Amino acid sequence: MKRLLAFTACAGFLAAATAANAADPVTIQLKWVTQAQFAGYYVAKDKGFYKDANLDVTIKPGGPDIAPEQVLAAGGADVIVDWMTAALAAREKGVPLTNIAQIFQREGLELTCLKSSGVKSPKDFPGRTLGVWFFGNEYPFMAWMNKLGYSTEGGPKGVTVLKQAFNVDPLLQHQADCISTMTYNEYWQVIDAGIKPSQLVVFKYSDEGVGVLEDGLYANGDKLKDTAYADKMARFVAASDKAWAWAVKNTDAAAKIVLAADTTGAQTEKHQEVMMKEIAKLIVDSKNPIGYLDPKDYDRTVEELEAQKIITKKPEGAWTHDVWDASKKWFDPTKKM
Amino acid sequence: MGRDYILIAALLAGIVAPFLSVGNAESWPTAAMALWIVALAAAAILLLPLSASWAAPLAIGGAAVGAVALYLLLDAGARGLAAPGLWLAMIALAFLVWRAMERSAALGARTKSRFLDLAAPILLGIWIVYLWQAIIVGFDVPHVLLPPPTEIAGAIFSSTGTLVADFVQTFIRSMIPGYAIGCGAGFLVGVLVDRIPFFQRGLLPLGNLASALPIVAVAPIMVMWFGFDWQSKAAVVVIMTFFPMLVNTIAGLAALGRFELDLMRTYAASYGQTLRMARLPAAMPFIFNALKVNSTLALIGAIVAEFFGTPIVGMGFRISAEVGRMNIAMVWATIVVAAVTGSAAYGAISLVERSLTFWHPSLRKVA
Repeated sequence: MKRLLAFTACAGFLAAATAANAADPVTIQLKWVTQAQFAGYYVAKDKGFYKDANLDVTIKPGGPDIAPEQVLAAGGADVIVDWMTAALAAREKGVPLTNIAQIFQREGLELTCLKSSGVKSPKDFPGRTLGVWFFGNEYPFMAWMNKLGYSTEGGPKGVTVLKQAFNVDPLLQHQADCISTMTYNEYWQVIDAGIKPSQLVVFKYSDEGVGVLEDGLYANGDKLKDTAYADKMARFVAASDKAWAWAVKNTDAAAKIVLAADTTGAQTEKHQEVMMKEIAKLIVDSKNPIGYLDPKDYDRTVEELEAQKIITKKPEGAWTHDVWDASKKWFDPTKKM
Repeated sequence: MGRDYILIAALLAGIVAPFLSVGNAESWPTAAMALWIVALAAAAILLLPLSASWAAPLAIGGAAVGAVALYLLLDAGARGLAAPGLWLAMIALAFLVWRAMERSAALGARTKSRFLDLAAPILLGIWIVYLWQAIIVGFDVPHVLLPPPTEIAGAIFSSTGTLVADFVQTFIRSMIPGYAIGCGAGFLVGVLVDRIPFFQRGLLPLGNLASALPIVAVAPIMVMWFGFDWQSKAAVVVIMTFFPMLVNTIAGLAALGRFELDLMRTYAASYGQTLRMARLPAAMPFIFNALKVNSTLALIGAIVAEFFGTPIVGMGFRISAEVGRMNIAMVWATIVVAAVTGSAAYGAISLVERSLTFWHPSLRKVA
């Protein structure tokens, strides 16, 4: 009996001790499947940056028909990787999303056309069939068509829009004249399918002046009012920024880490290495350090969304520099590594 | 007759409720209180032994008045667990609605009126919608998770044009051709299998395989083969509806009894005459069974196939795109259209079945 009591007491102390040292749990919902687009988070987990920051991070891969804003609204994630267009649209519907870090400083969205279809410039779009992704990715396209003055309902003066699945088949099967691609992913799938870059005409959204901010980190703005939670987010941003800074300098090693983390086995090493190099181009910026949201880019995105009536009024409190400023305590991206 | 414990519980709960806190509303609005007292009076009168023709309208009226009273209370600001008075009153109202459904079902049985028979299910439907609205409003449920019925109705009325265009694309242009081809092919192959038994061994397993293919795997392949428009969706519907129709046609053609077959033989009827005059009519119940099942499958197939590549119109596209935009009210509006369409299609086929298979024992009236 005495031994049982002693054992229970020891077990209790041990449990209390472990609880006291337990890391803070954080769940991040990615915007798409495991790939180099999210290398920073996998690198941070693999190299122990999260552990050093006393965080126990669960990375949830996304996929077709997973809207990260909904996962956060339902309480399934603390922080999500999302595009600003979808985040602001969801914010207006009542989901309290706040940008705590902007990872991609440049846009990777582009429209890729076959030269053989005869499209040489946006002036050739009327009467054509264009593949567009939905699920939050259609806003830049709608903004561009609005700017050009083309209707999306079809007809000789407008464009016919196809809801493109997340692949490049419509271009390969000649079902569409142009399709949506990312500079780092689907474009290379087209190249891998045997089409040569000389056979393609590419329109980058950023060049057309209709780029809107892409991958950023968003958290529940209401929860950020709690100092302990805000501190947890700041540590997360710091560890993630540190990992991104390493990844853009060591692209092949980062690609290997992502490949090892891919449980589906769908990714190939070559594809991930190319993707990581392209992603690095979107992150490294001469003006803005990693994770810093440039208010000018934010204003530009909001203006486009308002003009397109995707949001009806200017969002309040949709972004904050507080978390990024606090994160500099642990990792300052402005200092040379 | 025993005491109606449910009504007594309703009365007790209804009397205690106004004394409990109602949260932000502070106290019951006068109109709400007056209507609630009327509802309680109706419940009290229901305890007396009344004839069904008095009890049913009284119960329904009492429940309706009570529902209005509680909605006024909700409007005044009663929210969440800080307002137990509201929720206790809601429980009392639930019991009263239960008794109202019971009394109207009894009245329907008594007067054998088809119209009154529907009263109880309609009451249940209205109660569910009311409870849905009350819970969403009362517990401040975020509308992106579940929109209230008022918002869904708003979406239906403000986007009628879009919903009609989607209905035409999915139901008329994709589902109906697919349904006709799938059921037609299933029927013809069934007759072929019956005529030439050699095919039975080969075709039935193939048909089984076709029906076991998951839509989410087949749909993208069909899009690749037939393009983005209605043709690929119709192809998916064909694959889904072929096998049920085939199996039911074969079973139906085997259904005619030996006596009737022998009778046709004594009349020197050819295969074709036997088929047309005796075997096909006997197969009708089976064929209509397949048609009814297929109507549901076809609608599901057409909508799900649209998730995988579509021009930007169609019910499946609307659901998928509006979920991405967090316009959940529009998603529900499309769901309502799909539910009504599916039920109407099923009902229409049942009506045709009733006229063609009037001789079947299941449809003959008991004397």
